[in-house]
Amino acid sequence: MKKKMVHSLVLVSVLLLAIVAAGCIGGEKETATPETIVKTETKVETKVETQEKVFIRFAGWSAGETEMKKYQALIEEFEKKNPTIGVKYEVITQMFHENILASFGAGVAPDVFYVDSSWSPIFIEKGALYPISDLADKSFIDQFYPFLLEPFKKDGKLYGLPKDWSMLALFYNKKLFAQAGLTKPPETWEELEQYAKIIAEKTGKPGLAIYLGGFNRYVPVAISNGAPKPWFEKPADASWFDNPVVKETLTWYINLYRIGKIEMENQGKTPYVVQPGDVGAGWLGDAFGQQEVAMVISGNWMIPFLADQFPDFKYGEDWDIAPVPAGKKGRATMAYTVILGINAKSEHPQETWKFVEYVLGPEGQKELVVKGGHALPSLKGFENDPDMWPQHAKTLSFKYDNVVVFLWGPKSGILEGKFSDAMAAAMRGEITPEEAIATMKQIVEEELSG
Amino acid sequence: MPLFKSFSSFYEKSKNKEIVAGLSLISIAVLLNLVFGYFAMIFAFYLSFFKWDYIGEMQFVGLKNFAIVLRDLSRGLHGSYYLIAPFYTGLKNILIYTAIVVPVQTFLAIVLASFANQKIKGQQFFKVSYFLPATTSSVIISLIFIWLFMKNGFINYVFDLTVPGFQPIDWLNDKRYILLAISMVAIWGTSGHFMVSFLAAMQAIPKELYEAAMLDGAGPIRRFFFITIPMLRPMIVYVVVMGLIGALQMFDLAWVMAGASGGPGGAGYTVALDIYNEAFTRIRPGVAAAKSWFLFAIIFTTTYIFQKKYGRALR
Repeated sequence: MKKKMVHSLVLVSVLLLAIVAAGCIGGEKETATPETIVKTETKVETKVETQEKVFIRFAGWSAGETEMKKYQALIEEFEKKNPTIGVKYEVITQMFHENILASFGAGVAPDVFYVDSSWSPIFIEKGALYPISDLADKSFIDQFYPFLLEPFKKDGKLYGLPKDWSMLALFYNKKLFAQAGLTKPPETWEELEQYAKIIAEKTGKPGLAIYLGGFNRYVPVAISNGAPKPWFEKPADASWFDNPVVKETLTWYINLYRIGKIEMENQGKTPYVVQPGDVGAGWLGDAFGQQEVAMVISGNWMIPFLADQFPDFKYGEDWDIAPVPAGKKGRATMAYTVILGINAKSEHPQETWKFVEYVLGPEGQKELVVKGGHALPSLKGFENDPDMWPQHAKTLSFKYDNVVVFLWGPKSGILEGKFSDAMAAAMRGEITPEEAIATMKQIVEEELSG
Repeated sequence: MPLFKSFSSFYEKSKNKEIVAGLSLISIAVLLNLVFGYFAMIFAFYLSFFKWDYIGEMQFVGLKNFAIVLRDLSRGLHGSYYLIAPFYTGLKNILIYTAIVVPVQTFLAIVLASFANQKIKGQQFFKVSYFLPATTSSVIISLIFIWLFMKNGFINYVFDLTVPGFQPIDWLNDKRYILLAISMVAIWGTSGHFMVSFLAAMQAIPKELYEAAMLDGAGPIRRFFFITIPMLRPMIVYVVVMGLIGALQMFDLAWVMAGASGGPGGAGYTVALDIYNEAFTRIRPGVAAAKSWFLFAIIFTTTYIFQKKYGRALR
């Protein structure tokens, strides 16, 4: 009897909860949104000082403690200049974009946040970002490198401004080059492979390190040899992989490791191409800094890492930077950038924009980017700035026919990951390069068929 | 205060007192379970009929999400490359993993428990050291084992010393071995935990049974197989069921040891990893929810069948 009653009570509460739950699902708009939170905070403030103070939330990941401190200082400076605006800085260290997406799902997304170029189409297409071009003066936007803005435009509107950027360059070890009797960095892709072989023969250390997979590192090879920029928007775009230039260069890139490492070792010879793990390194910068390999193609992020972790390995004396090797149709490199996006649902777009303008303007970029030395400033005009690190300035001085921003269409992130898996399988020799290319084609068709 | 009065008179009745006290004691646990358990389940079921990208509106798509999962499975069965059939890959791997882990961990837990049950000097030390892995975070365990499993790591070193003519294995970068490596870590990490369950069950076995068997001339091995094992049967069923549930939704070890895409050739990919990737990399929470329901159905049927077959007979 008692048992039965408890039972029915529990049942009733389950039913009640189900009804509440159904209500929640039905009435999306009833859930707490950031707007309401901000509003309550505003109310508290008005009581105290009668002047209305607005709070905005700014979310980013962290490139280390120094950068976080610099941001804090910059925010304090900004709040001093704009006493009516308060900025709450939130650092999300892991799975940044997944977190932001989930906060959109829950209706508590921050007012302004980082968006990596490869993730930007998801946010732009779904209308999650406020058009910056409605807020900013044209003269402000014109200060930025135009090619960095291209991927973030849609229907004539601009949805984000890059906070900084990096590009690929060839890093080479001068000491190992001298030991191998080489006097200058390789100029073309053929020379790159040739030099790697010479270095392996003469010094016993592999000449070149690349990632297993790494589709974005291969793209400059394709484009410098005359292939169009990869762009995957619909299943038919998979035909990019039918381009003879793509087939030839992709096979060449896969074979760098397939022959340079796997086959060499099977024949008992020194490999001339490795991946970082083969020499006990975590990533390319690590392998290069430990002087286990003579050449890597990597981005500006490697520069502060080398300065920090390998202070005895000196730029200029021990290692130097050269442009990415050229193909038959010119020279191409990759650009990686992160934009600051303003939440389209933000209650305070004007105030948020004021903050973005301050962080991305000359003052903010000088502090955060130029002095910090983590990446390149996205504003033009810092090329000859005395505070610019010479290594970064050198990468900016190279001339390229094509600078390709890391973005292959609306599903860049997932495509990049799966392409890299297929390439890695072929590099390890589990499948042939032809099979890898066919699989990559199939992946595009599969991922974009809706 | 008529409401309070009526409540207090209701409360005064001793039978009602028990109900109120009981309900209020369990209310927090029940509420948490309802919100984070049942609500999440109902929402996942609801979500599995929709297309959503977290930002825009939800769009009803009927059974399309389930059709995507079935297409994935049928492609896998027809031998598609693992990248084209991720759910099939994850399912195949997790079934192999479960088939390795559950029997071995159960057997090992019984063996460990019977050692710990002996009256040997310092057995407390062994009990603690067997149980220690269960107190450590699985991510930390995986990170430690990544080092041990490296090509020039400790495990290859031990094999090299003990097995003649042993060629060092690149455990985590060879698609033939990565799942085995993950299984070994799982067995190491969970056997001690289940040992405690078996130890408790063993201590509840009446001494008279052993004494009677000894009088009949049964040796220790016979006593183990004809008294200990049959008496442990309910606990074995419990441990196997818990082990099945845990193994089929394995995520943490694969995430750390193989990576989000499942390592070389996708050999370390699991269903739970695929559900995560579907929800947060491919931004298809609806398909992720559909896959979760598939996983639920698999776990439910296997444990149900197992319990039905072995769980009841002993009572």
